[in-house]
Amino acid sequence: MNTITANPSYKLELAASPHVHSRWSTKQAMWLVLAAILPMVISAVVFFGLYQLLIIIVSVGFCVGTEAAVKAVRKRKISIGDGSAVITGLLLALILPPNFSLSSTAIGAIVSIGIGKEIFGGLGYNIFNPALVGRAFLQAAFPVPMTTWSQPNYAVDSISSATPLSAIKFDKVSTELSNLFLGNVGGSLGETSAIAVLLGGIFLIVIGVVNWRVPVSMTLGVIIFGGIFWLLDPAIYPNPLFHIFAGGFLVGALFMATDWVTSPLYGKGMWIFGAGIALVLVLIRLFGGLPEGVMYSILFMNAFVPLINRYTKPRIFGKEK
Amino acid sequence: MKLVIKMLVTLTIVGVISGALLSEISGWAEPKIEAHRKAETEKAIFEVQPSAESYEVVDGIDFECYKVFDKNKEKTGYALTYSGSGFQGKIRLMIGMDNSLEKVLGLKVLEQVETPGLGTKITEDDFTNQFKGLSAVPGIDWVKGASPSKPNEIQAITGATISSKAVVSIMNDGIEKLRAVDGGKK
Amino acid sequence: MKSKLGFVKEYTKGLWENNPVFKQVLGMCPTLAVTVSAINGIAMALATTFVLVFSSIIISSVRKLIPSQVRIASYILIIATFVTIVDLVMKAQFPDLSKSLGPYIPLIVVNCLILGRQEAFSSKNGVLRSALDALGMGTGFLIALFMLGGIREILGSRTLLGFQIMPDFYEPWLVMILPAGAFLTLGLMMAYFNSIAINMKKKETDKIIEQYKKSKAAKTIEAGA
Repeated sequence: MNTITANPSYKLELAASPHVHSRWSTKQAMWLVLAAILPMVISAVVFFGLYQLLIIIVSVGFCVGTEAAVKAVRKRKISIGDGSAVITGLLLALILPPNFSLSSTAIGAIVSIGIGKEIFGGLGYNIFNPALVGRAFLQAAFPVPMTTWSQPNYAVDSISSATPLSAIKFDKVSTELSNLFLGNVGGSLGETSAIAVLLGGIFLIVIGVVNWRVPVSMTLGVIIFGGIFWLLDPAIYPNPLFHIFAGGFLVGALFMATDWVTSPLYGKGMWIFGAGIALVLVLIRLFGGLPEGVMYSILFMNAFVPLINRYTKPRIFGKEK
Repeated sequence: MKLVIKMLVTLTIVGVISGALLSEISGWAEPKIEAHRKAETEKAIFEVQPSAESYEVVDGIDFECYKVFDKNKEKTGYALTYSGSGFQGKIRLMIGMDNSLEKVLGLKVLEQVETPGLGTKITEDDFTNQFKGLSAVPGIDWVKGASPSKPNEIQAITGATISSKAVVSIMNDGIEKLRAVDGGKK
Repeated sequence: MKSKLGFVKEYTKGLWENNPVFKQVLGMCPTLAVTVSAINGIAMALATTFVLVFSSIIISSVRKLIPSQVRIASYILIIATFVTIVDLVMKAQFPDLSKSLGPYIPLIVVNCLILGRQEAFSSKNGVLRSALDALGMGTGFLIALFMLGGIREILGSRTLLGFQIMPDFYEPWLVMILPAGAFLTLGLMMAYFNSIAINMKKKETDKIIEQYKKSKAAKTIEAGA
């Protein structure tokens, strides 16, 4: 989506519709998102060690490099300045397991940008969230390293190296909510600390870079769908708060599903989108073969976005229904 | 009317020629295919019963089972094939058991359609060798992420827990069934 | 009817211009399903080529005898006969290969590449032409399946035709031997070949335009003179 801003210092940009109006230009928004991601980077380093910075650097480096390379081959204008490749790289790194191999990180970054974004025509044309495409590829390519979770440095109690979600799914061990909130549990780099994720995410909502509807509808959806099962049998199914604070839900809701390009354009569509993600997520977590389903549920609903947009388009003023 | 006859005649001719050709080819191929199948079973039996020299089919039961003898014609145990569902489809196993049906002598996966690279590791020696000499009393059990501590435990494959579990439960079912049959005979 | 191509062209058109996989997008089921390794791809393509060539020869030689109302039924019978022959021979002579290709050998019967060629070509052309066309399509299929299987085998299990190619430190990408890898590889290969074809076409049109401009310039000069 290209943005036409009211800022007079900008020259007139022409782009195919749909256009999104926002207080911020694409460039400014990207910098604000970068700032919002910073707390997650810090929590990753605090809980899992300095090596994680290397993963982040490699991921960002290869994302930017791939974008530049593709643009050069296709003889298009280099668009690194918009910062979107940097954000994809950061987000990809933050949803990888701690101490992940650097060469595999690089492959994931290349796939994210190459197949997730540039093959569709670059920023604004991609159907799926690029960082999640990269992670989905890595998950399929290297399933064992992708599910090997290192212990955080300051683990309060040793709940083995399982993530809270796999612990409850396979071993029926639940994790204290307070640990989930702080982040000293097993999990991907950036997703373990609910505080860090919320800090950045709420900042983005408050300043208006991301729309509040998708995260809110996802949260409500998980509370409703997860709550139904919990009420049916609290012994088997975890309570909805656990669904929200465990795993990648918050990162997904605040940073992945809210991606401008791959989420619906209109208010009603955003509600449908968020609720759809929540439903698929709860089904995968409770009944699927995998402990976590945030990535697949968002990718799945990404595919429906064009359809949702089509049916939720507001009536044009003056036109008959 | 003429057209109908022509149609019928054409189809009949094509059908007869193709049938004749196929029966000829199948007459040549069937014995060979049968021989391959037998050789494969034989190889699997000798693999799960290392001291075996000869075998005979156990009749009158509803699953495939063989009595196995060593070179002194001494009965060393049983080899049975048993199948059940794995992660994605059927897994068929050849299980070697000793005479008392308390110890596993060997395991070979005959058929499986598990996830390539993960579930397919159940066919590899690293996994199947764990079963050599494993105690099957009271049943075979599995542990995850740690070395087995009991004589009847094996370690499940990382990333393929479901396939590993499936193999163990198919074995337990098969051994249980053989025990029922064998106990009745004795 | 279109003007007839030369005999050589009849064969070579299947290799690139009308490649069954990359251009006609026929026979996708075996293409995606069996190409986990190069050897599987080769075996599948050879089996398909055998069926394609022989059924093309038979069908083109009896094409005038079969009433058009029952032609599809007769074609299927003929194709099924050859497929069963291939299946039995492979089971008897190459049991391992037959096992790894599984149900996809019997499924050649419904490979749209085969029935498609019979309906589109053999039922309208002579024996020699049909045989050449079938052989060309088969070769094109072989090229495509070998490339696809080769790429997936190298990236997914480090080897090509069973020989180790990638170094030990290379971690195989499991995704390549899963169905997702087949779709991904095929999609990228199609995109690449299409971009080559588009570039070739563009060069050709550029050349024609260039020539036209030149001739026009020459004419104006002539007219001026």
